[in-house]
Amino acid sequence: MINLFNAGLAVYLGALVSAVVFLMSSRRLFDIIANVLMSAGALMQTIYIGIRWSEAGRAPFSNMFESLVLFAWSVAVIYLVLRLQRNIPWLGAAAAAFSSLALAHASTYETAIKPLMPALQSNWLTFHVLTCFLGYGGFAVAFLIGIGFLASDRKASTVKPAMRETLDSVMSRTISFGFLFLTLGILTGAVWANSAWGTYWSWDPKETWSLITWFIYAIFLHCRFMRNWSGRRAAWIAILGFLSVLFTYFGVNFLLSGLHSYAT
Amino acid sequence: MTHIEGRTVRSALLIPRGGSSMSEQNQTETPDKAETEPSAWSLIQSWLGSLKFSLFVVVLIALACIAGTLIPQGEQVSRFLVKNPGHHKALEFMTRVGLTNVFYSWWFATLLLVFSSSLTVCTLKRYRMIGRSAGAVRIRVIGSLITHVSLLLVLAGGVIRAMWGEKGVLQLSEGEIATSCESQTGAPMPLPFAVRLVTFELELYKTPNEPSNVGDVLYVQWPEKEMMVPIAMEATNTPVVVAPREQAGQDNTFQVKIERYLPDFYVDAASGEAQSRSKVPNNPAVYVSVIGAGVTNAEWVFARFPDFTRHKKPGVGPRMPLQFRFVSSEAKPAMGRSQGPVKAFKSTVEFLQNGQVMLTKTIAVNSPTTFQGYTFYQLSYNPEDLRWTSLQVVRDPGVPVVYAGFLLMMAGLTVVFCVGPYLDDKRKGSEKTV
Ligand code: HEM
Repeated sequence: MINLFNAGLAVYLGALVSAVVFLMSSRRLFDIIANVLMSAGALMQTIYIGIRWSEAGRAPFSNMFESLVLFAWSVAVIYLVLRLQRNIPWLGAAAAAFSSLALAHASTYETAIKPLMPALQSNWLTFHVLTCFLGYGGFAVAFLIGIGFLASDRKASTVKPAMRETLDSVMSRTISFGFLFLTLGILTGAVWANSAWGTYWSWDPKETWSLITWFIYAIFLHCRFMRNWSGRRAAWIAILGFLSVLFTYFGVNFLLSGLHSYAT
Repeated sequence: MTHIEGRTVRSALLIPRGGSSMSEQNQTETPDKAETEPSAWSLIQSWLGSLKFSLFVVVLIALACIAGTLIPQGEQVSRFLVKNPGHHKALEFMTRVGLTNVFYSWWFATLLLVFSSSLTVCTLKRYRMIGRSAGAVRIRVIGSLITHVSLLLVLAGGVIRAMWGEKGVLQLSEGEIATSCESQTGAPMPLPFAVRLVTFELELYKTPNEPSNVGDVLYVQWPEKEMMVPIAMEATNTPVVVAPREQAGQDNTFQVKIERYLPDFYVDAASGEAQSRSKVPNNPAVYVSVIGAGVTNAEWVFARFPDFTRHKKPGVGPRMPLQFRFVSSEAKPAMGRSQGPVKAFKSTVEFLQNGQVMLTKTIAVNSPTTFQGYTFYQLSYNPEDLRWTSLQVVRDPGVPVVYAGFLLMMAGLTVVFCVGPYLDDKRKGSEKTV
C-alpha cells in the first residue's frame, strides 16, 4: 500500500525533472516523457485511492494525509485535462512540483487507516471533500498560472500576445471550474452540518474562511467578466485567492486551533 | 469606453475560450426613454446596484469575517484571557467596538442587509435586460440572475431562522419523559408533544487483541503494525524502552520511552507544568518520547482522550510517525466508560401525544429524526453515566428556503459556467462552417 503511495511520489518527481529538462533543452521528447509520467502518477494515485477506499470501507477523505493525497491527485488530473486543450510549456513542471510537494508533505502525517468518529460517518463526507478538493485543484492551477504570468511578465516583450491570451483564458477557466466546485463543496458541507447538528452555518473558522475564499473568487469573476480585468491584476487576485485557500486548509487547523485547544 | 453605472453593460459574463468575441464585450444597453432625468430609482440603481458598490460591500464583509476568526469571539474571550492576561486592555476595547461578537452584532447584520439590498437592486436592474439580450448572452444573464436570486433566498432563509426558529437542548435519562427542553438562553422551550428516552447505546470500535486484564498498556502503532507495551505502574518515572524494529532498513527503528506517568493529569496554570492532581486515576496520562529516524519528539498521551495526541502544535519539529494509544484499566469507571474510540452513539426515543406513542425512532449522529416540525439530533452523552443522552432540538422553518437557494445556486452557476460556454462554442463552431 504505502509503496504505491511512494511510487506515485517518485513518478511525479520524475515528471518534474523531465519537465525542467524540457524547459532548458526545448527538446520535445522530454515534454512527452513528462506528460506520460504525470499521467502514470495520476493513474497510480487513482489506484491508491481506490485500494484505500476499499480497505477502509469508506471514502479515504477524512484527515490531513488523505486530503493531501486528493489535493495532489486533483491538481495532476486538472493539469492533464488542460494539457489536452492548451499548451503552456512550463505548466507541466509547475503542476508536477505542486503534486510532488503535496505528497511529500502528506507523508509527514499519520498514514494508517483510522476508524471514523461518529460525526464523520456520513456519505456527505465523500461529496463534500471531493468537491472541495476539485475546487482547490482548479484554484491551485490558476495560482500556478498567476505566478507564471507575473514571473514572465517582467520581461514584458518576451510574452507573446497569444501566450498572454492563453494564460488569461486558462486562468479564468480554472477559476470558474474551481468556483463551481467550491460552491458545491460549501453547500454540501452546509447540508451535512445541518443533518449532523441542526445548523447549516455556525460561523466556525473553517466555514468562515471558506466563505472568504468564495468571496475572493466571486470578486475575481466579476472583475474578469464584467470589468474585463486580465493580466497582472487578474493574476494577483488568483494568487490572493489561493493564499486564502491555503489558510482555510492549513492555517485554520494549526494557527486558529490555539483557541480551542485542550488541557487547560 | 465611457459609461454611466447602471446604464452601460461593460460586458456580459463570458468565458473566453481562445479568441474571445469582442463584439459582445462592448454591447451597450440603450437607456430607458422614461429615465432621461435622474429619478430616485435610477440613482439607487446606479449607486446601490452598481458592481463597484456591491463588491465593496463584499470586501467589507470579508474583512469582518477575517476579524471574526482572528479575534477571540464570545466565550472564547475569557479562555483567551486566562492564557494571555496581558491582552486585557486590547480585548476590552474590541468588545466595546463589537469585534468580539462579530457575527451576531448589529453592524454585521447591517452589512448583510446592505449586501442584500445591493443584490436586489442589481437583480431588478438585470431582470429588465433579459428581453434586450439574445442567444448565449441571454443565457448568461439569466444564469447570473438565478445565482443572485439564490443568494437572496439563502439569506432570507437565515432571517426566517433568526425570527421564527427555535433551538434547544434536551437531556434525558432512560425512561424519562419531557415536554420541554432548554433553549440557548437557559429558558425552558416548550414542545407541543412529549418525548421519552427508551434506551441509549454507545458502540465502540473493536480493539483487536486487547487482553482484558493486563493493567495499563501503551499501544504503539506505526503504519500497518501495532505493538503493546505494558506500563509498570509502581515504577512510575522509570522509562520503559522498546525498539519496534522492522526488517526493512534501519530507518524504521525507534526507541520509545515512557518518561512519566501521571494518574490525574492537569496543567498547573502558574508554572505551565504538567502535574498530577491526585493518586486517583481520573485522567491518566503518559509522557512518551521517541528517538529514531532523525526524529526526537515527545508528547502526552491520554487514556481518556485517545484523539487528543494528534492535535499537536506546529513548529515542534518533525512529527513522529508513530501513533500511541494508552489503555488504562484503572480508569474504567463503573458505568463502563469507553476505552476504544467511539464508533456510534444512539438514542431510541418515543414521541407521545395525549399519552399515546405516535412515533418511535432511533436517533444517531448524522441521522436525526423530525416530529411535527421539530428535528432531534444526537448531540452528546454523559461518559460517566451512560443512561443519559443529550439531544439537540431544532425547529427551523427557514431550511426549505435555504435548500431551495442551494439548488438554485447550483442551477444558476451551471447555466453561467456550463450552458453559456457550451452555446458559445456551438455558435463559434457554426460561424466557422458558414
Ligand atoms: C455566486 C456567485 C456569483 C456569480 C456567479 C455572479 C455572476 C454574475 C454575473 C454573470 C453578472 C453579470 C450579469 C450580466 O451579464 O448581466 C453579475 C453581475 C453582478 N453581480 Fe454577480 N454573481 C455572483 C455573486 C454576486 C455577489 C455575491 C454579488 C454581491 C452583492 C454580486 C453582485 C453583482 C452585481 C452588482 C452585478 C451587476 C453589475 C452591474 O450591473 O454593473 N454578484 N454577477
